[in-house]
Order: sequence, then C-alpha cells, then structure tokens
Amino acid sequence: MTWVVWRYYRAQMAIALALLAAFAAVELTTGLQMASAWHSLLRTCSATAVNGSGNSCSGGSIIGFLGNDMRVLSVLAPAIIGILWGAPLVAHEMETGTATFAWTQGITRSRWLLAKAGWLLLAAAVWGGAVSALVTFWSGPVNAMRGDQFDGNFFETQGIVPIGYAVFATALGITAGALLRRTLPAIAVTLGGFIGIRILLDGLRPHLMPAVTTITSLTSNWSPPGISWVLGLNVINKAGQIVSYSGFSSTEVDGLPVSALPQACQKLVPAGYASGGNITSAPRGNPLGPVQSCLQSAGFRQAVTYQPGWRYWPFQGIETGIYLLLAAALVAVAWYAVRRRDA
Amino acid sequence: MAPPVPAIQTTRLTKRYRRNTALSDCSITVPEGSISALIGPNGAGKTTLLRLLCGLSEPSAGTALVLGASPRQAPESLAQVGFLAQEMPLYRRMTAADHITMGAHLNVRWDGQSVRDRLRGLDIPLDRAVGTLSGGQRAQVALALVLAKRPRLLLLDEPVAALDPLARRHFLATLTEAVAVAEGSLTVLLSSHLIADIERVCDHLILLAASHVQLCGETDELLAEHQILVGPKKDTGPIERAHTVVQATTTGKQSTLLIRLGGPLLDPAYQAEDVSLEELVLGYMGAAAPAAYAGLGPADPAELTGEER
Repeated sequence: MTWVVWRYYRAQMAIALALLAAFAAVELTTGLQMASAWHSLLRTCSATAVNGSGNSCSGGSIIGFLGNDMRVLSVLAPAIIGILWGAPLVAHEMETGTATFAWTQGITRSRWLLAKAGWLLLAAAVWGGAVSALVTFWSGPVNAMRGDQFDGNFFETQGIVPIGYAVFATALGITAGALLRRTLPAIAVTLGGFIGIRILLDGLRPHLMPAVTTITSLTSNWSPPGISWVLGLNVINKAGQIVSYSGFSSTEVDGLPVSALPQACQKLVPAGYASGGNITSAPRGNPLGPVQSCLQSAGFRQAVTYQPGWRYWPFQGIETGIYLLLAAALVAVAWYAVRRRDA
Repeated sequence: MAPPVPAIQTTRLTKRYRRNTALSDCSITVPEGSISALIGPNGAGKTTLLRLLCGLSEPSAGTALVLGASPRQAPESLAQVGFLAQEMPLYRRMTAADHITMGAHLNVRWDGQSVRDRLRGLDIPLDRAVGTLSGGQRAQVALALVLAKRPRLLLLDEPVAALDPLARRHFLATLTEAVAVAEGSLTVLLSSHLIADIERVCDHLILLAASHVQLCGETDELLAEHQILVGPKKDTGPIERAHTVVQATTTGKQSTLLIRLGGPLLDPAYQAEDVSLEELVLGYMGAAAPAAYAGLGPADPAELTGEER
C-alpha cells in the first residue's frame, strides 16, 4: 500500500515541497536580515532599551517585519493541506469511481483507508512542523523584544501547535470527504469546520489550566514575573468580590464608581472628580492618594489574574494534544464510514 | 459425490434504498464454470445485484453466497472475485504499467506478466496515461487487470456498452479465451443489453425486470421451455390452464402468445414456433413493463428495443 500511496500523491508532494521551499526562502532571507539587525543593536544597546520604543535603541524597525497578521498563517497553512490532501482522499475516489477499483483489489477497505490516511497525516505533521520551525527561527529577534509569547500571532504560529492544527485539518478533510463523498462540499465543510473549531478552542485557551490570582495592595506596582499572560486586573472589596475592573493602572482606582466607595472614602474624593460619577484621572500630583489609602484600610485590594510564563510549553502541549485527539476521533468516524457504508 | 457448490447462490436477496427498492426477493443460482448473462431494462437492479455480490454494498434482507461464503471485507474473499464497474474506473493519470505495479502491491495473487503480454498483443501502450487511451483500449486494460487477480468469479457490469462493434468483439474474445484457459474454474456473470453478444458468449441467462427475477437458467433449456403460438383470436382459457402465458398480443383477428410450456401442446388451432432469445427476453421484459408501456401495446416485440434504454 505504501507504494500505491506514494504513486498517487507524488505530484502533490512535489507541489507541497515547492511551496515549502518558497516559504523557506522568504523566511530565511528576511530572517537573517532581522537577526543581523538585532545583533548589531545589541552591541550598542541593552536588551531592555531595545525593548522600549521612541529611543535610538528601539527595535521598532525589526518588529515592522512582523505585521499583526501572522495569525492568518496559522489558519492558512493547515487549511491548504486539509483542502488539498484531506478532503479529496476518499471523496475524489468516490466521484471518479476509482474507489470501486481500489476496493475490489485484494486488500480490505479498512487497510486501504488507514494506510492512505496514516501517510497523509504524517505528511501533514511534517508540513506543520516545518512551517512552525521556519516561523520560530524567523521570529527569534521579535520574540526576544516583545515577549508576548501567549499572543495569538506568536503562540499559534510557533512551537508544536501548528502540527496539531495541520493534522486536525487533514483529518477533518478526510472525514468530511468520507461522509459527503463529494470533494467540493467536503472542502467547504473542512474550511468552515476548521475555522469554527479554531475560534472555539482559541477562546478556550485562557482556561486550559486554572489561572493564578495574586492579590496586592492598591498602591503596589506589582506585576507577574516572567513573560506571563495577564487575563485580568481587578479591584476587589473586603469580601473578595470584584467591584470593578481597574485597567492596568495600579496607582489610580480608575473605573471604580464613587458610589461604590465606602462613605468614609467618598468624602475624600476631590469635589470636581465626582461630577461624572466616576473618578477618571488625577490633574496634578496625586490628589487621589488619600482615597486610595482609605480604600486600602477599608480592605480593598488589587487582584491580578494571569497564566505564568512557564506555562507556555504546557499550554502548547495541551492544545496540540486536544487537536490530535480530535483528529483521531475524526479518523475513527471516517474509518467507520468507509468500512460500513455501501460503496 | 456431493453436488458442486454453485458459484453464486442468492436467497430472497433484497436491497432497499431510502426511497425505492432496487432489488427484491432475488433468488438465483449460477453454476461454477458458466458464463451467465444478466439482462433487464435499466433500473431493473442489475448493478445493485452485482455490487452486492462483490461486497461493495450490504443487502437489506436475504443472503448471498459467493463461492460458498458471504461476500465480506477479508483479503481471501476479495482475492477470489473480480469486479469491473460499468465506467471501467482506472486512475486516469497513471499508466497501465502503474496499474500493474499497483495490483501487485494490493493483491496476494497477481499475474502482472499476463497483463503485459495481453496488452502488448493488442498494441496497447503500457507507458501512456490510461486517460489518454481510447475507450476500447481502456476497457481492455481494465479487463486484463481484473483477470490478473486470477479470480474464480468475474462480475462485469455492462462491460461492452460503451464500445464500438470491433472493440466489443475484441473484448469478448479476450473474455472467452480467459474462460477457456481457466478450464471451468472461472465463472463469469456479465450484464448487458446486447442480445446478439449474449447469444454468442453466454450459456446461462438471468432476467431481471422491475427489481424481480423473471427467468434464471440455462439458455438452451429456457428456449426449449418456451413457444410462440400464433392462432385465431379466441378464448385463451384452455391454454392458460395447461401452460403459462407470458405475453399475449392481438392484431386484428390473430393473436400471438408467448407461453412457458406446462405439458404437450394439444390445440391444433395454434401454430407453434420455436422462440428466439430476443423474443424470449423482450416477451418477459414487455410483460413486466409498467402500464404506460403496456398501453402502447407493441404488436411486434422488436418494437420494444427502442423503449428498452
């Protein structure tokens, strides 16, 4: 069966390799330019200065290479092979009737499907891994500067999740084709299903592991260590209930309605502030200082909810695992459909 | 000595789809070593029966025994049955040589050399994509490939329908030669509309119409069992009591009856004639045709030929 799969797919494999080579050429040339720019910056500037912006050390020109559209790649690259390899695997052979030829030879339909699907899923994993490796290399300087490792543009295009996406998209295509038996509808279902599942599971990502909440005083300047993923910054009252979202400022109580403040603290709010019903900003100095001290002694605290930076690889592993399990379930459905349904 | 196991034996085989019944209560027997023709109008269930027999689909009711076992997804079962679908599906971009290699990988028993010899003998290039070959050449490639499995049973679904007369002749010659070489160990069941071809090649006949089996048996015996009676238009009661009237047509003062003999013919008013294969087939098809066809009342069975497709 291996030879049969190879003979059937060799042209498509050549196309995929050509695409990959073109992508590698782009990534390697621009990637090396970026890397050399980055290293010459590091010779004269400290890494923290490079991280900033608006100074002579700013790495903004390097970041410029990276649009905010990297995320699109994490949909496109897997979808391409889900459509080109997955969807036609069973559907095209049923449409052209060659399935009748293949299924009346001396091997069972199960073996036929599992061999074809197995090789293609392996190829999809290699494809996903190669694209991810190139992007990870290419993004090296940007990763070092920005450090938003949980941002979709980073998380979804690097590491091992692209392998999960590619394998899942291919399995989805195979199953859609096996159930619908026509290539075009199978392609539509693959595309829609892949994007739908991605949106669903991307939304689930913050909850893959229970988030950590650290409670600090309202006046402290604390932030989570390392490159963590801050999910929420809240003001909580004495009972631990969230009273308002305070944004990213730890020196002000932005967004906390005056009416929600204890009576004693309300009195300390400068007259002009309460006009809009909210304390919005401090004009000069910190006239809110007394209010904050009052809130602090009344038991109000700041709660920072986040995923610690060390969870990057556990998250990559969990998300990849989910997609691989979904892919396995889909292949089982395809196997059942090919084995049990009339040809 | 135990009676030989028939190559195909079905009992009340039925296939229902969501809206219609494609095959109903089909009970047939095909002896080993025979070349049997499966005849019937379009939609009679021929393709359905063949696909059930090679295991591509599952029956809704009834049983099918193929070479003594029910067709199933097992290598030893698949290896014994060759199936050629009507469209002769092959991988259009691949060459005949590719198909031969593929067959070698997919089958335990495979005679690739026979395909090469046969195709070379027919001047069919092995190294051109099969999609670029003519219909007749493609059919020869498909037949050669299915024979390379050395099957004990060959199921062919309208193999010659799309071929010109010469290609048809070559195809059937290849087929009969393969049967002769196999010396009784190869059974063929082929569906066709072409009665002249069937007459030349087949020794058994199965007639399906309106998803039911109308006739099943050895062609010569079936022909001997039937007679055409031509006589004056009169009460056919006495005839019907002694024989089975398959089809009766009247023109003017004369009536023509196709009967299945139930005993000796006694009524001297009728003139008895032997029946030809075409008359027999068309008689049964006409009798099973829907009422709309019957309303047309073809006096000459040959007129049905046009309606058949």
